[in-house]
Amino acid sequence: MHGRVKVRTTEEEKARKEKEKQEKLKVFKHAMQKIWDKRKKEELDLELMELTGKVLTSNPDIYTLWNIRREILNIFRKDMESEGQQLVDLYDAELRLTEYCLKINPKSYCAWHQREWVLTTRSNPDWKTELALCNKYLKFDERNFHTWDYRRFVISQCKPSLKEEFDYTTEKLLDNFSNYSAWHYRSKILVDLHPDLEAGRPIEDEHHKHELKMVESAAFTDPDDTSAWFYQRWLLGAVKTTVDLVVCTISPLKTTVAFNEPVSKDYVQMTTNLLINDVSVNGEWLPCEGKKYNNVWIFKHNEIIGDNFDIKVEYNRENVDKLTILCIQKNSLYIGRNNISFQRKYSEPVIKELKKQLDSCRQLLTMEPDNKWTLLTTTFLLHCINAKHYHNEVIDILKTLQIKDKMHAGYYGDLITKWSIELQLEDDYRNEELELKVKFAEKISSLPHLHYYSFCENVNLFNQNLTSRVLSTLSVLQHCKKLSLENNNLTTLKGFPSLNLEELNLRGNKDLDMKEVEIFKQQNNYNVIF
Amino acid sequence: MSFNTKDVVLKEDRPKTLLLQKHSDYLAGYGLNKDDYEYCMTEHIRMSGIYWSLTAMELMDQTSRMPKSEIIEFITSCQDTESGGISASIGHDPHMLYTLSAVQVLAMYDRMDAVDVDGIVRFVTSLQQPDGSFFGDKWGEVDTRFSFCAVMCLSLLQKLEAINVNKAVDFVLSCMNFDGGFGSKPGSESHAGLIYCCVGTLSICKRMDALHADELAWWLCERQLPSGGLNGRPEKLPDLCYSWWVMSSLSMLNRIHWVDKNSLEEFILACQDAETGGFSDRPGDIPDPFHTLFGLAGLSLLGNSSIKLVNPTYCMPQETIDRLKLEPQVLHV
Repeated sequence: MHGRVKVRTTEEEKARKEKEKQEKLKVFKHAMQKIWDKRKKEELDLELMELTGKVLTSNPDIYTLWNIRREILNIFRKDMESEGQQLVDLYDAELRLTEYCLKINPKSYCAWHQREWVLTTRSNPDWKTELALCNKYLKFDERNFHTWDYRRFVISQCKPSLKEEFDYTTEKLLDNFSNYSAWHYRSKILVDLHPDLEAGRPIEDEHHKHELKMVESAAFTDPDDTSAWFYQRWLLGAVKTTVDLVVCTISPLKTTVAFNEPVSKDYVQMTTNLLINDVSVNGEWLPCEGKKYNNVWIFKHNEIIGDNFDIKVEYNRENVDKLTILCIQKNSLYIGRNNISFQRKYSEPVIKELKKQLDSCRQLLTMEPDNKWTLLTTTFLLHCINAKHYHNEVIDILKTLQIKDKMHAGYYGDLITKWSIELQLEDDYRNEELELKVKFAEKISSLPHLHYYSFCENVNLFNQNLTSRVLSTLSVLQHCKKLSLENNNLTTLKGFPSLNLEELNLRGNKDLDMKEVEIFKQQNNYNVIF
Repeated sequence: MSFNTKDVVLKEDRPKTLLLQKHSDYLAGYGLNKDDYEYCMTEHIRMSGIYWSLTAMELMDQTSRMPKSEIIEFITSCQDTESGGISASIGHDPHMLYTLSAVQVLAMYDRMDAVDVDGIVRFVTSLQQPDGSFFGDKWGEVDTRFSFCAVMCLSLLQKLEAINVNKAVDFVLSCMNFDGGFGSKPGSESHAGLIYCCVGTLSICKRMDALHADELAWWLCERQLPSGGLNGRPEKLPDLCYSWWVMSSLSMLNRIHWVDKNSLEEFILACQDAETGGFSDRPGDIPDPFHTLFGLAGLSLLGNSSIKLVNPTYCMPQETIDRLKLEPQVLHV
């Protein structure tokens, strides 16, 4: 029951209402009984049409009644060789009934579906009338998703040009920028209408720029109207992304390969090849996290790994030159790293536009320094333009947001963690760092991109803000021997993956249960410090 | 011109503590009078009504207050022998929605023997389409809700492999939008309820990796309004049931801490009817079993220890999911 306010009434009024209801109920029950009886007797006739129609006008969600009507219509359809006037009249009456029901309940799934059924069943449906109906309904309620869905159905049948529909969203948005449904529809049409096939970007440059400008005029009209901001966030993320191999690690015990995105077994098999002393190695790929798509894959083979081997991994992607990664020996491990970058790459005209919008944001902030949406947009623009250069400023604003928009402090905290780790990762890869150790002041609250560190034997997460929700993520640390989770906020060890550790430090997690740790110790043959 | 956020204001005299006894009384009394107007007018969703009430009672550890044998008998008599599907009530037609509700109830009662399981499997698999989507019944309505019903139902019966899971996943993914969310079919706008269905489908099929988790979870946490309540789409009023759709999705995404738990709890508690018991969509509205379940389940996700642990994917007690040895996926972070 939605939106029905409880009203205080006198006893007298209550009794009168109850009597009214009981009378209505009597009529309803009588009608329903008659309907069931007739259906049982297979009297699928016009009388049953009328009976079901009457009940549906006041309760359009009794789905079985619509089924009965379709059964009757189907009988008339079969009985007549061609679509005679009677059937045409019946279809028209059905459309009128759905329209009547939708007036009472514009969100009735059943009534909308019946209308769709009639129009796809009858010959010569009038799509123009249907489109006009959508326009009319979207004037009453511009956010009714049923109407929008129905519009997309009608469009799929009468196929006007994409441009016409795109212009319709412009018209709706100029009418009210806060029409999220129109932004949504626009996003769908945009990628079909203006894809950048040449550069492999989702949206063609000029249009990308144009959309960003449209958001600017919308969002800056009133920064608190959130609809346009979501659209902007999407536009900012609309860059080319590709799957890439990140790091391969070979030890005498285990061989692993990590990818930037989760990939399937077929993908690894097809693209990745291990060469030891120039001989291709046979083996089987096993999922590290036990799922169909994994960031880290374990390669099971029978080769014995010794010192000073020549180990390479070939990575063969479709339409891209083959990449050969040399694995360099570090102690007992061979590690082969790819070049990594988290910087989003835009075309020149788009970058120019982003910089212009950054200036506008900065101006807005001088007038309204506390506005959450302007602050948040500023951080994203800075991050997208040059994440490394603006990193400190971005982190400062996110910390401000943690205070000003307390409700979403958890989100901002995780964002600080993610962007800081991304920056550190680029450095760690460049410097061929062998350990994971948090090198920035902000405490991390989650473990994003941890698979990039799947080669580490030593993982030191001392003194962070990690909770037990991150434990399952540790499963990518396939080569880790020494893991410290000292001074974090773990409350349970439930979800801790099976790892070949030598030492696990759990000291300083004051909410961890001593008994649970004891049992955990017994189950694992490595040294647990608590 | 200043933009007005659509929201409600919580009154000072709102309920601030959990009225468990009242809720259990409310549900136990619901439908006792078979001539009650509201009860009769909701016959076409009866099976789901039973699921809402029973699950709420389970979470309050008050299951014994539900008429178990009457319910099981009712479910048996709602199964259509021909199609194998289950209807909302006697005389009504079988449908995916009510087949799922019935299976959930039987799973909680551990009484799957009360129905023809093969018939249910036959019904659900017969509704899968070549593109991987599911019809709700033979009349051809397509919706991601039905995809979720199908995989949840079959997984509860340990028969998930009876459908083409890869195709079911592909269809759901084809409904993903610019904001990372999902709608009811390809091209449909994101909506928290349908996001729950799609994320739930991916959780059961263990394909959570395909989500744009950060974008989606951000959109979800931005559903929280100053009152603490959550809405289902941007610029809409808060509604208690979104405490469930949003929070369960965030739980599966392992990012439940992106919303402010304290103010959400206050909002949920404010939706209680202190006189009759039960929860409503917004403070001061009329309560119903649907919102009563989602109020309690929401509080369970927030860690309220006087309610049993709820499973975010199945919206059933965790102990039932454990008994069935089901392990729906929660995303790594």
